[in-house]
Amino acid sequence: MALLIVAGTASIIEFIKLSRSVNALIEDNYKTIEASKTMLEALERSDSGILLILLGERDDGREIIKSADLQFTNAFVIAKNNITETDEDKHIEVIERFYSNLWEKLKITLDSKNKIGDMGWYHREIYQSFLDVKHAVDELMSLNQNSMYAEATLLKEKSHRAIMPGIVAIVGALVFSLMLSFFISKYYISPLSEIAEAIKNFHPREKSIKTNIKNEDEIKKIEVEVNNLIEKLVKYQNEQIG
Amino acid sequence: MRTEVIIKFTGFVLLFNAFFLIVSSLISIFNAETSTIPLLFSGLICIIFGLFPFIFVEDHDEISFSEGLVIVVGGWLITCLIGMLPYLMWGGEFNLINAWFESVSGFTTTGSSILNNIENLPKGLLFWRSSTHWIGGVGVIMFVLLILPHSTSSRLTLLNAEMSELSKFNFRYKARKIINVLAIVYVGLTLVQTLLLTIFGMSLFDAINHSFATIATGGFSTKNTSVAYFNSVSIDSIIMLFMVLSGIHFGLLYGTFTLKKDNIFRSSVVRSFVLILFLGVLFVSAKLYSSGTYSLWRSLQYGAFQVISLGTTTGFATADSANWPAFTHIILIYFTIQCAMVGSTSGGLKFDRVYLFFKSLRKQLTLLQHPRAVVVVRINDRPISEHLETLTLVFLVLYIFTLFITTLILTFLDVDLYTAFSASIATIGNVGPGFGEVSSLSNYANIPNFGKFLLTINMLLGRLEIFNIIALFMIKKGNF
Repeated sequence: MALLIVAGTASIIEFIKLSRSVNALIEDNYKTIEASKTMLEALERSDSGILLILLGERDDGREIIKSADLQFTNAFVIAKNNITETDEDKHIEVIERFYSNLWEKLKITLDSKNKIGDMGWYHREIYQSFLDVKHAVDELMSLNQNSMYAEATLLKEKSHRAIMPGIVAIVGALVFSLMLSFFISKYYISPLSEIAEAIKNFHPREKSIKTNIKNEDEIKKIEVEVNNLIEKLVKYQNEQIG
Repeated sequence: MRTEVIIKFTGFVLLFNAFFLIVSSLISIFNAETSTIPLLFSGLICIIFGLFPFIFVEDHDEISFSEGLVIVVGGWLITCLIGMLPYLMWGGEFNLINAWFESVSGFTTTGSSILNNIENLPKGLLFWRSSTHWIGGVGVIMFVLLILPHSTSSRLTLLNAEMSELSKFNFRYKARKIINVLAIVYVGLTLVQTLLLTIFGMSLFDAINHSFATIATGGFSTKNTSVAYFNSVSIDSIIMLFMVLSGIHFGLLYGTFTLKKDNIFRSSVVRSFVLILFLGVLFVSAKLYSSGTYSLWRSLQYGAFQVISLGTTTGFATADSANWPAFTHIILIYFTIQCAMVGSTSGGLKFDRVYLFFKSLRKQLTLLQHPRAVVVVRINDRPISEHLETLTLVFLVLYIFTLFITTLILTFLDVDLYTAFSASIATIGNVGPGFGEVSSLSNYANIPNFGKFLLTINMLLGRLEIFNIIALFMIKKGNF
């Protein structure tokens, strides 16, 4: 019983830790990974927007870039407010710096009308800035993915630790019940059976039943009382005959 | 055979284990580690299973030899089973077979490990791992005999079942005194080594763990690179000194410290043992230097440490001997087979048996020349009975036979011959590291699961000296 209580308590403690780890996994890493994915998507959209402008589709391009900027900024705020890993703040700073640099260049494209068809400008100025931001976001995502993997491995170990006390307690309880039944049989059932057998084999010529019970306990008292009863009966019988 | 008596005595063994499990769990709690619940829970299991028969079963004044035998073998098996629980519950690199392997390796003071990253273990579990060495070093039953006030006859029966005939040779004391001598020397050496290691720069935690492993001639370290991690000549020297002391008969050590006649300086076996160790160091160091493996000083430092470590069945390492010349491997394999002295904490064949074998060989050669001569084998001027001579020879044959069978099965499991052979010797000799894939700075993780199980049987055979296990099967068949 004590084993099962302790095992149950241990399992509950480990499961609480486990659920905290799951929360941490979702809160800490998954949120930032999703935000990073959104940032990458926004960057792709900005890239498409800038290409549209360069191809002469100015209004559509401006629209896409503005909505992508909003999308990027929202995702960036989520990531910035969810710094949970070592050096993650440095990654955020790099993304912020690179993105503001990109945005400066995007603004020039948005404001200027003479950039239409200037693919050289795109290759020289915009493309490298896009790559810088993408690379920085990728690194932030990798940091969180690696951490998530490590946390998942830890979760596996925690779940192992949560289950094991239960398994060990069940096996322990089984072995203990075997041991208990052995002792009950040895110290209670066997002596009682022995007394029953001795009573069964009792011959009227004998004055008492004979057993090998050595313990001075209640079972020994039964043997003594049975012998007292036999003695009284014999005495009574003798009186009747006499 | 009275089952309740056997259960009661094995219960005492569990209570003794419980003490170390609770201490380990306290270390875990103090360091806020993940091993707290596994250690605490295992300790609780030990207490419940140990206390129950202690309360329930009445005291018995006498126990028969067959009961004593079952208590000794059963005590070891139960201890190993309980010992694996903290590992199994903690997880990490420990699955069922790995936990069993680490536990048996610890208690039998073999020191072979399946761990790739020892430093990843929590401190509590590291302490338990070293404790298994210390509990097993002098024999699990020995502690029970020391603590519990049993009758002289039951103490004598258990002592006879736990110690070999040859081990008792240099103990000229009564059973109670033998147990006290063993305990005094064992605890004394552990305390002194811990103190010295701490003075020479080791942290108290590492010092205790390394002392447990040294005095028990085990070899579990708290570091991935074993003693090499500390890179200190003074630490190497202290460990070497205590490895040699732990490999010598404790009765003779006690005699030396208490200025008795039976001391290490008067024992021809000790003289021969130290001389052979010295020659081993000399040859290995010379070869290491001449082959250009290390400088002269490093050859001496690494050569001496490795020879003493394997020659006393400890198994610590300061260098990876896997890359050493073949000549040094042969010498190190010899020391792995020979092992240290009886009456010490080392396991395996034991140097005394090799010594007695050569004495018997000389006797047989003399008898060939003079068939009517009366030749008596003597050790330290004391005659050795023909019965003891025969027992020693039978033991040698059984030892070699077991070695052959284990190597055969391991090679069947596709383990390469060199690894299979050295792993078999290293485990039956309770040495720990072998060569090939299981070299001094490597581990047994890549051995197939059945191979690992087989090697644990080897470890138990080496620790219980084969005869006890055979005798146990004879009891089962009703032939004993």
